[in-house]
Amino acid sequence: MAEQHSLSGLTPEQAKEFHEQWKITYTTFAGLAAVAHILVLVWKPWF
Amino acid sequence: MAEQQIPRPRNPEDDWKVWLVVNPSTWLIPILALVLLIALTVHSFILTSAKYNFLAG
Repeated sequence: MAEQHSLSGLTPEQAKEFHEQWKITYTTFAGLAAVAHILVLVWKPWF
Repeated sequence: MAEQQIPRPRNPEDDWKVWLVVNPSTWLIPILALVLLIALTVHSFILTSAKYNFLAG
């Protein structure tokens, strides 16, 4: 059977490996943003 | 020819498949640059508001 190439050229293993790091980085970013918003809320509530 | 039925993805377990379409070695930096651009835009907009100008004394 012809070798399956993805559109991006990554293999499923590479895609899964990258996605694991992507999830960690995104969760950290969202966590920091949440903390920043809580600090602003304590400083000057906007609702 | 019968139209090929592509199964709909189930998320979040199929989220990783996005990288089978978008190559991160090409697009990771542009994506991060866009996130930075959005953050700078939002923060500059907030600076225009008197109440939340975090630079004004």
